Amino acid sequence: MINITGVKKTYKAGDTEVKALRGVDLVIDKGEFISIAGPSGSGKTTLLNLIGCIDAVDEGEILIDGEEVTSLKKEDKTTFRRNKLGFIFQSYNLIPVLTAFENVAFSLQLLGLKDKEIKDRTMEILREVGLEGMEHRRPAKLSGGQQQRVAVARALVKNPLIVLADEPTANLDSHTGEEILKLMKEMNEKHGTTFVFSTHDKMVMDYANRLVYIHDGEFTSDERR
Amino acid sequence: MKLGSIAYRNIYRNLRRSILSATAIMVAAMSIVLLFSLLGGMKADITYNLQTYSTGGIRIRDRDFTKNERLNPMHLTIENVDILSRELLETPGVSVVSPRISFPARIYRGEENYNAMGVGLDFSTESAFQDLGPDVLQKGRLPESGKNEALLGYKLAEKAGVGIGDKITLLSSTASRGTNAITLEVTGLAVFPLSGMSDNTFYAPLDRVQHLLRMPDQVQEMLVKFDADVDERALTASLPSGLSDSENLEITYWQDIETSYSFIQMAETVYNIFALFFFFLASTVILNTTIMVIFERMKEIGTLSAMGMNGKDLVRLFFLESLYIGIIGSFFGVLLGILFTHLLSITGIDFGSAMEGVDFDIAPVLYPKLSLKSTVLVFFYSVVMTSVVSIFPSRKASRIEPVEALRAV
Repeated sequence: MINITGVKKTYKAGDTEVKALRGVDLVIDKGEFISIAGPSGSGKTTLLNLIGCIDAVDEGEILIDGEEVTSLKKEDKTTFRRNKLGFIFQSYNLIPVLTAFENVAFSLQLLGLKDKEIKDRTMEILREVGLEGMEHRRPAKLSGGQQQRVAVARALVKNPLIVLADEPTANLDSHTGEEILKLMKEMNEKHGTTFVFSTHDKMVMDYANRLVYIHDGEFTSDERR
Repeated sequence: MKLGSIAYRNIYRNLRRSILSATAIMVAAMSIVLLFSLLGGMKADITYNLQTYSTGGIRIRDRDFTKNERLNPMHLTIENVDILSRELLETPGVSVVSPRISFPARIYRGEENYNAMGVGLDFSTESAFQDLGPDVLQKGRLPESGKNEALLGYKLAEKAGVGIGDKITLLSSTASRGTNAITLEVTGLAVFPLSGMSDNTFYAPLDRVQHLLRMPDQVQEMLVKFDADVDERALTASLPSGLSDSENLEITYWQDIETSYSFIQMAETVYNIFALFFFFLASTVILNTTIMVIFERMKEIGTLSAMGMNGKDLVRLFFLESLYIGIIGSFFGVLLGILFTHLLSITGIDFGSAMEGVDFDIAPVLYPKLSLKSTVLVFFYSVVMTSVVSIFPSRKASRIEPVEALRAV
């Protein structure tokens, strides 16, 4: 599903160069629920951004579903993200002027689906994430946990190949965080969607089927459960 | 959820800023509508005054009169006035004809004498050519053909110390370069729309002026006015073919005569530049707003981009937001402009003291005149200009890498 080979990425922070990834290799299979774990600055978010085609590698290549995404043009990367990837962000990143329903439906509108299908699929996913009855609320009227549920629904509604979640529980209390993880796990099992998420939270790591440790831009362990 | 709906809702995210932007556009649009209405009023006023008192819509003279005008060539006249009048009135598109003689004269009153400008008119037909009703005729009555009577500008009458029923004697050069005098009874006092005319002009019956100047059955010029909706230039061009004595005549369209109208045409260009400048100012407000909005929503831009929204849609989103603010601002600006123009067209704007001593074919009280065409144009121009400027910063925003945008705080 995902083949990462010799990927390097260096950032410039002022005059200093930060080697975020130092030539990493990783293969992720379809349907995996994999956690990239490590301390802050270890390179886990960079790796997620590269898999998510929102950043470019310096060296190496990434194949997703057989497609070499690292050499895609900007517009093609946008199309790839639209069709095949879902994102869940640490701070939810919902569009504040849209209701829960509209935030989720917007993903499908970008795909150009018909209104009836958009409505049916959006209502179904909102039911699945436990937000039935709250679809007309705007993000400001939802709790952090509810907002992250909307974000999960938004990522999943288009049936993506992969959902990328960057520290999805970092802004939530432990109880709500666990609820979100259960939800993600449930969705993974139900839809067979591959989940790749970053974390440095022990509780989150426990939910993963596979745990990859990263430190100073290099993988230090890869543990399957 | 269509992009248009998102853009519309975005306006309310920082309502105060949206109102401020719309207000800037509103003020610009309102000012331009007022400016164009003032120009429209000025144009209409100058057009009326020139066509009525100076050039007509078409001016017909002896072919050599204009080139010798500085020498006051009273002998270069139009003859067979009745035939020419009939031929002109039979021409389709011609509504009214005014045969006239304008001449310099000196009014004698006791020991004093005053320079004046006389105009000989046929009062039996002149009312169709110019307003000689109560707005102009402030006191008394109009002179009658065949009688030694005169209508005096009220300031000239004040200067000469005469009133209704008084007599004035005037002296002038004749067409044969002699000198002649006539005594006229003042039958009326006039307030002409042009203050300069009230100061030095008097009207007298055409036949008496012809007698005074030794110009039997002759006039100096014939002024022609058109029917509404006629192609004035085309009519002017075709006019000679319908006139039996056209080879001896100079037939000139009024805009081709060097007058104040050329000033209006120049003013029009200047006002258009002003309009551009105003809209440019309003556009900078929108530009600034869009740049601020983009900075504030950088993370949102990153999210939308990560979700797969393409750059064109992002640009469209910001464009629509500016477009809505532009439409709201322009609509209320044009509405206020129409309202103020309407109020000022009733009360008028008195430039009396400013126009004192200015020799210009314009009335001291100006009534703004709204033009539907220019008002609609102002609306669309304002909307287009203020919304198009948003494209520049939003295009730049659409090119930012999603990862950079998502890192924004």
